[in-house]
Amino acid sequence: MGKVKNRNWLVLVFLIASLVLSLIFAASTGAVKISTTEIIEILTKGADTVNASILMDIRLPRVLLAAVLGAGLAAVGGVMQAIFKNPLVDSYTLGMSSGAALGAVISIITGLNARIFGMETTGIFAFMGAVLTLFFVYSLAYTRNRMSINSLLLAGVAVSYFLASVISFLMMLNHDKIEHIVFWTMGSLSMATWNELFISAVIIIPSLAVLMYYTRELNILMMGEDAAHHLGINTFALKNVLLITCALVVGSVVSTGGTIAFLGLVAPHIIRLIIGSDNKSVIPYSALLGSILLVLADTAGRMLIQPAEIPVGVMTSIMGGPFFIFLLRSQKAGRQG
Amino acid sequence: MNIGKGCFFCIVGPNGSGKSTLLRVISAALKPQEGDVCFDGRSINDIKHRSIARMVSFVPQNTSLEFDFKVSDVVLMGRYPYINKLKGETGKDFEIAEKAMEYTNTTHLKDRSFMELSGGERQRVILAQAFAQDTDILILDEPVSHLDLQHQVEILNLIKKMCVDRKLTAIAVLHDLNLASAYGDYIVMMKAGMIMRQGTPFETLTAAGIKEIFDTDVYVSVSPVGNKPYIYALTKPNIDKMGIRVHVICGGGSGSDIISRLCSEGFDLSSGVLAIGDLDWKISKENNMQIAEEVPFVGISGEAYARNKELAMAADAIVLTGLYLGKSNLKNLELLLEKDMEGKPLFILEDDSFAARDYTNGTACRLYERIKSRNNSILTDSKALKEEIIKAVETHGESKE
Repeated sequence: MGKVKNRNWLVLVFLIASLVLSLIFAASTGAVKISTTEIIEILTKGADTVNASILMDIRLPRVLLAAVLGAGLAAVGGVMQAIFKNPLVDSYTLGMSSGAALGAVISIITGLNARIFGMETTGIFAFMGAVLTLFFVYSLAYTRNRMSINSLLLAGVAVSYFLASVISFLMMLNHDKIEHIVFWTMGSLSMATWNELFISAVIIIPSLAVLMYYTRELNILMMGEDAAHHLGINTFALKNVLLITCALVVGSVVSTGGTIAFLGLVAPHIIRLIIGSDNKSVIPYSALLGSILLVLADTAGRMLIQPAEIPVGVMTSIMGGPFFIFLLRSQKAGRQG
Repeated sequence: MNIGKGCFFCIVGPNGSGKSTLLRVISAALKPQEGDVCFDGRSINDIKHRSIARMVSFVPQNTSLEFDFKVSDVVLMGRYPYINKLKGETGKDFEIAEKAMEYTNTTHLKDRSFMELSGGERQRVILAQAFAQDTDILILDEPVSHLDLQHQVEILNLIKKMCVDRKLTAIAVLHDLNLASAYGDYIVMMKAGMIMRQGTPFETLTAAGIKEIFDTDVYVSVSPVGNKPYIYALTKPNIDKMGIRVHVICGGGSGSDIISRLCSEGFDLSSGVLAIGDLDWKISKENNMQIAEEVPFVGISGEAYARNKELAMAADAIVLTGLYLGKSNLKNLELLLEKDMEGKPLFILEDDSFAARDYTNGTACRLYERIKSRNNSILTDSKALKEEIIKAVETHGESKE
C-alpha cells in the first residue's frame, strides 16, 4: 500500500509541475512572444508596456480560463464514468454538451442574452440545456426501474445528433448570427475576459469541491447501486447531487467556451491507466490533467495556423477522437480476453 | 415472516416469484406498498441509511466492476457505514478489513485487482466486505448461482460458519433445493409473490410442497449424509411413443436401469410380478406403467400370476432381467415356459451370473436352461436391446401375416 501511495504523490507532483509549466508556456507563446522572466516581472511588479497589456488583458484570462474549464470538464467526465459504471460516458456522449450548446444558441438568436447580476443569461440557458438534456436522456434509458448503460449511451448519442441538427437548422435560419453560433458549437476560448474567468471560476471551483467531497461514495457507487445502497448510501440523493453539480459545470463551461469534446473522456482514462480507479485520486488528478490538456490544446490551436486560430473544441476532438476509438477497441479486447 | 438470530434462512421459489423483491424490501432497498419491515421493533423505513448498513449487509449474485480496484480497497468499502467522512478510515477499520480477509481466505488476493478475479474469488471478496461491515444480518441473493460445485460449497460453508461463529442471521435466495435443504435451518417457499410454506427443511421440502411451488413432480428422500431432505428431479422427457409394448420381468432393482432406458427410448412398458415397495416397483410406478404386483414375502399368488400373464400376452416382446430368484418369485420363470408364450419374442439379459442368482437349489437354473433353449428366446445385452426388440417385433409381425 505504501508503495502505491508514494507513486500517487509522484504523479501529483508531476501534474502540478506540468500545469505550472504549461501555464507559463501558454502565456509566453503567441503572436508576440513574451519571455518567462518578463512574465514574472509583469506579474510581480506590474508594468505599463504593450507586452504587459497583452499578457494581462488577453493572454492570462484566456490561459487561466482554459485551466479552469479543463479541470471542470475532466472532473465531470471522471465522476460520470463512475456514476454510470462505464468508461465511455462523459458530458459529450450523454448529450449534455449539445444540450448546453442548444440552450446557448437559443438565447443568442432570441436576443435574450441580457445580463442579470453580471451573469450572462446565455450561461443560464446553457445550464438549463445541459440539465434538461441529461434528464431527458436519462429517462429514455430508464425503463421499468432498470437502467441499461447501453441504452443510456445510445440515447445520449442519438439526442446529441438530434440537438446538433437542431443547432444547424437554427444557424441556417439566422445567417446574421452564424459566427456567434459557430463559436458555441466548435468551442473556442478567444472571447475570454477576466469577467468570464471570474464567473466560471466561481461556479466551477466550488462544484469541483463538491464532487471531490463525494469521491469515497463514488468508489462505492462503482460496485453497483444495490451494493452502494447496502453500504449505507442514499444512492438516489447522491446521484442527484452529483449529476446536478455536473450539469452546472458543463453548463458553465459551454456558456463560456462552447462545446469542448472528448476532454472529459480522455483525461480520467489516462489517470486511471497510471494510478488505478480510486476516485479519491482519479477525480482531482483528472482535473489537473484536464487543465494541462486544455491549456496546451488551446495554445496549439492559437499557434498552428497563425494568424488564424483553430477552435479549441476542434483541437480536443482531433486528439480525443482517436483515443476514444483506442479505448473502445481495448475494452472489447479486454472483454474477449 | 419472523426471523430469529443465528439462523440460515433460505428462500426458494420459481423465477419471478418475488424472492429478490422480498430481499430488497427486507434491506429497505425497496419500499413495501403495504406492511412493514421491523428490526428490534423499529420500522426500517424510519432508520437512516447508514444505520441500516450497520445492521444489514448484502451479497448479490455477482459483482462486476468495469474499473480497476484493489481487493483490499473493495473490502475496506465495507467499513463505509462507520467512517467519519472527514477523518477517513482509521487503524481500526484497516484491522477489521484485514481480519475479514483472513476469515474468508482472501488475504493472498489483497493486492490483486478485483476485475481479474474468478467468480468464486470475487464472491469471497464480497463476503469479506460484508464481514467487514460487521452486521447482524447478511442478505444473499443467489450467492452461488454462477459458481461451480466447489465454489458453491465453499461459499455456503463460509456463510454457515459466519452464522455459527458470529451469531449472524443469513437470509439467502437459493435456486438449488438440495443446497437449500443442506444449509438452511429454515425454508421459506414463495410463489407469485406470496409465501406459501415455511418451516424446517423436512416440513417444507416435501414432494407435495415442491409440486405446489414449482409445479414439478419430484422424488424426495433423506440425504444419506446430513439427515436432510434430498430432492431428485424425475427425468421424464416427452418422448414420442413407438407403439411397441414391452413387458419386463424383473425385481429387486434388476430392472430399474432397463425400465428407465426403454422408457426414454419410447417403448410402452409393463412389469411384473413385483413386490410392492420393491425398487423396480417404485420405478415402474413413477413411469406410470402397468404392474402385476404382489404383497412382499408371500410368494406369487394365482391372481398376480394371472395378471402378469395377461400383461405379458398383451406385449409385443418380453424382457427377462438379471433378477435374483427365490421361492417367492420362481413363478415368474414358470410363466415363460407356458405354451401361450411360444412365439413371443423373449429377450434374456444374459450375464453368466445366473447360478449365483439362484436361491432355489437349482430349480430355477433348470427352468432357466429350458427357457433359453426355446426358439423364441434371444440372448442379448442391455445396450443392443432397443435394436433387437424393434427387429424382432418387425419380423414377428411379418411372419404373422
